[in-house]
Amino acid sequence: MEELIISTENFKKIVKELQEKEFRVIGIPEGENKYQEITVEKELSLNSEAAPAGSSFKEYFFPKSEPIFFYKQNNGSVDLFDPIEDKKGIVVIGAKPCDASAMPIISKVFNWDYKDDLFNKRYDSSLIIGMSCHYKDDYCFCVSTKGSPENTKGSDVFLTTLENNYFKVATITPKGEAFVKEYGKHFEKDEKKHNPVERKEAIPEHFNYEKVKTWLDNNFENKFWDTAGEMCLGCAQCAFVCPTCHCFDLVDEQCGSCEGRRAKNWDACQFSLFTKHASGHNPRDNQEKRYRQRISHKFKYYMDKFDDILCTGCGRCARGCPVSLDILQVVEEINAFAEKS
Amino acid sequence: MNELKQICKDVLTEKKARLIIGYSEDKNKKVKPYIARTPEDAEKFTFNHNAVNNLAVYIPRFKNHFEGKIGIVVKGCDLKAVTALIQENQVKRENLFIIGVNCSGVVRDTDKDFSKDNSQIKCKYCQMKTPGYFDAIAEETIEFELTDDDQAEMMAKIEKMTAEERLDFWNAEFEKCIKCYACRQVCPMCYCEQCIAEKSTPKWIDTSATPRGNFAWNTIRAFHMAGRCIGCHECERACPMDIPLSLLTRKMGMVASAEFGYRPGMSIDEPTLIGSYSTSDKEDFIK
Repeated sequence: MEELIISTENFKKIVKELQEKEFRVIGIPEGENKYQEITVEKELSLNSEAAPAGSSFKEYFFPKSEPIFFYKQNNGSVDLFDPIEDKKGIVVIGAKPCDASAMPIISKVFNWDYKDDLFNKRYDSSLIIGMSCHYKDDYCFCVSTKGSPENTKGSDVFLTTLENNYFKVATITPKGEAFVKEYGKHFEKDEKKHNPVERKEAIPEHFNYEKVKTWLDNNFENKFWDTAGEMCLGCAQCAFVCPTCHCFDLVDEQCGSCEGRRAKNWDACQFSLFTKHASGHNPRDNQEKRYRQRISHKFKYYMDKFDDILCTGCGRCARGCPVSLDILQVVEEINAFAEKS
Repeated sequence: MNELKQICKDVLTEKKARLIIGYSEDKNKKVKPYIARTPEDAEKFTFNHNAVNNLAVYIPRFKNHFEGKIGIVVKGCDLKAVTALIQENQVKRENLFIIGVNCSGVVRDTDKDFSKDNSQIKCKYCQMKTPGYFDAIAEETIEFELTDDDQAEMMAKIEKMTAEERLDFWNAEFEKCIKCYACRQVCPMCYCEQCIAEKSTPKWIDTSATPRGNFAWNTIRAFHMAGRCIGCHECERACPMDIPLSLLTRKMGMVASAEFGYRPGMSIDEPTLIGSYSTSDKEDFIK
């Protein structure tokens, strides 16, 4: 297929057409630090130099709270009702590789023993347009977690930043191909041969994830864990802004005198309640054990089960941590142990 | 900073405290909470404009784990939290070794240098640059100028709103809440072993991050802070969704002060507002 390019202005036209077709367009508006629904096409910003948004866009596929069903008491029996389905397809525009690549990773857990229809319906009818990244700070480590600033994993269409607000367009999946075909009039041939925007500084490989995994395989009881997470306060900032954290809780809640709903809510392994049994026993009874779980789930258990690292190296958890607990520095330390042993 | 390190080394060498909770700087120049258990560990201690955390939050966590005193490095504002914990019987004064630091203000955005525009809101009306009492103090300090208290302007604006407008304002803010409970976890006064948000028999508030659940959580937390919040603003700093929580807690504090002449964390001997009564207490707020 010949190489196509598109300008930011033309992308805004596509956004308008998508909105007219009743798609929910998710992107990051100019000057904002959050993925949100783009309601006015002019707001769309495609800035590859921006820092990762405060949170990932997972909430549009896996909301912070969503009803599974509603119930109503009816003369001694209970009637159940399905939630109203949102039939609008989702198009994410300008996703960072560290966000887009998380989608196939969490899709594995939502399609493991039980197929999560709520997630799948949204994911199957979505289109994710990724964009190469030109950002780097002390927290970025995508290269260490099988990714890169040009990683196309999870994207249906991938944009590479060129000079003069142009993007080179690569179609990654059949879905992406169909999209480029449908909106073909907005794309053009690269006759002027625009140069790609060069990265100022490469993102180094900070650790070897295989070595880290081997160390984790053998060091569940290592005394390193006694202090690694001891300053962790046990909030869920890290898990809730993370593109790959996917744990949830199920709760029944009242909504009216004889009515209620069962909801699926975000949950996090750093909460003490997360593993507390009905008996009162808690197998992870201190923050140190809970922090070990967080690291092990990301760099060992998920690899054991799904052959993927449950981390894309976006660094959000550390950027926002109230006590500046930096996952990269913790894993680097593990890597250093692994290299010594 | 050398003075602080020396004090901490001496305290640990002479076993005046079992451990010291202080600040260290990582390789990215981020200042974070750190615990020293040996004099060698104390070499890592630091203190500067980036030492934003209120370390008093760790006191309830460590009080049951260790025998011997807990050493803690405190700024003037953080000492109020320590005092309030003593007032509320969460720790005994004699079980603490308090190492005060003279503070020259802390940053709001840790990626930028400290300046008039980049300081925590609380620093703008700070009256506690030096801790009121301590077992040892690192004296070195740089003076800083107080700047305009722009939060007071915002509070005046909110007060002028009608009840409906205020409700709209707060509902829009609370809608952002993701129930990560960073506000609770980072708060030195939120030490309940079981939070009301975790109670299920009966369940008092919805745990879902829905408008209803978010409103319930954020208002109940504000009420539980009335007359207890010492104004460290850690809740607002920790909030990943940028909800201006300190507007609420500061307002509750101002009400407690205006109605009952009480400010928490000012004296270890003073009974708490909620734990005491006076026949002269005003009752005109009960309607």
